[in-house]
Amino acid sequence: MKWRLMKFYGVGLASGLAILAAVCAGATYAAAAGTSGVAGKMQYCQDCHGISGQGYRGYVPIPRLAGQQPDYLMNQLRAFVEGRRPNSIMSNVAHVLSPAMMHALTRSFSRLDPPPLGGAPRRYVARGRAIFQDGDPGANVAACAACHGPDAHGHGEIPRLAGQLYPYIVKALTNWSQERGRIPSKPDTSAIMEPVAHSLTRPQVEAVAAYLSTLR
Amino acid sequence: MTRVLEKIVRGRMTKGIVVPVAFVILTIVSAGAGRAEDTGAVSASAVQAKTKYCEVCHGADARGFLGYYPIPRLAGQQVEYIENQLKGFIEHKRANTASPTTTNIMFDVGHVLSPAMIKALATNFHALNPSPVGGAPKDNLAAGKTIFDEGVAGTDVPPCASCHGAQGEGNGEIPRLAGQLYPYVVKQLTNWSKERAEKNADVMAPIAHDLTASQIEAVAAYVSYLK
Repeated sequence: MKWRLMKFYGVGLASGLAILAAVCAGATYAAAAGTSGVAGKMQYCQDCHGISGQGYRGYVPIPRLAGQQPDYLMNQLRAFVEGRRPNSIMSNVAHVLSPAMMHALTRSFSRLDPPPLGGAPRRYVARGRAIFQDGDPGANVAACAACHGPDAHGHGEIPRLAGQLYPYIVKALTNWSQERGRIPSKPDTSAIMEPVAHSLTRPQVEAVAAYLSTLR
Repeated sequence: MTRVLEKIVRGRMTKGIVVPVAFVILTIVSAGAGRAEDTGAVSASAVQAKTKYCEVCHGADARGFLGYYPIPRLAGQQVEYIENQLKGFIEHKRANTASPTTTNIMFDVGHVLSPAMIKALATNFHALNPSPVGGAPKDNLAAGKTIFDEGVAGTDVPPCASCHGAQGEGNGEIPRLAGQLYPYVVKQLTNWSKERAEKNADVMAPIAHDLTASQIEAVAAYVSYLK
């Protein structure tokens, strides 16, 4: 009986906290998006993007959303809807979201801070750090840190890369022009990365992805 | 030079010490030759690739970009000013940020550039004239214009226009300020002596110190909208 009661209070407390967290997260947009709706949708996102938005290795690498810049997430969701970033799953996911829900979700994910998922090869982390902080000026590779920040936490529409999944970054940089900025009449921020992605060699891509995946 | 080397190598080949010395001299000679080539012409394709690289951070048409740091507009900038700044970065006289723990990105960028490449890039950037990025607060533009045109009455702050030109266009080693990014100008004037010790930087030091934070913001907003 005592155990049952404790369990009851436990569950109550947990869901209370979850609602409270969602309320705080969604504060401004809660009225428009509906608080319970945001919590439910957060849960739905995390089915694929991992617990606490940590990222997850599904059939494809599914990116970390935790700590991500809200403006970046907004731009990506719109890019999926508009076809600037072709991805049938994310296009379906995004096109049912109201602008208020997008705001609430992006702000909620930006506040999460789980540790990186890890699992990248450690061998080239030091080389990756050098590329990230200094670039490779002789080969016209810009220093990633100039825009993404020395801590790789990003800024506005420039994404956080700290703790991002190794295979996701490798894939994104390798396929950049096939996956981003696909509507020439609607140029977006992704154009900035195009020459950088092209100028990086495969070993450089792997090194910098390994380094980023270890950052908090 | 080659004859001297031959003499040294032939005449003293048997004496162990001289051979490494000869190699050192040879290395220096060939390094010097490489550098001499660098001062020659650069290919148009190399300049184009490097320009693209600069614009990754400095924005399309070099109009400036708000990365993690405000990255300044280079479009329309004075050729001599760009040359002097790159030299400042290379000589570690101009820091990239106020934080000594952060990598000096522009040192890395600058030190691989030959003088001919620097000249070509600076000339190309000078010729660009995209519209300003904008985005600065507009509440104090009039106050900014007064400081820019007339200086600050009762202080040692002279009119900016007297050196930077009536439209902020600059002249030679004096930079163009027209269309420069608001947060960049604010950061430079606020941190002047922490970041800048390149040639001519001492001219601005007392002025930057005399300006108050609100005066800096007003004048930075004003110049950011000049075309």
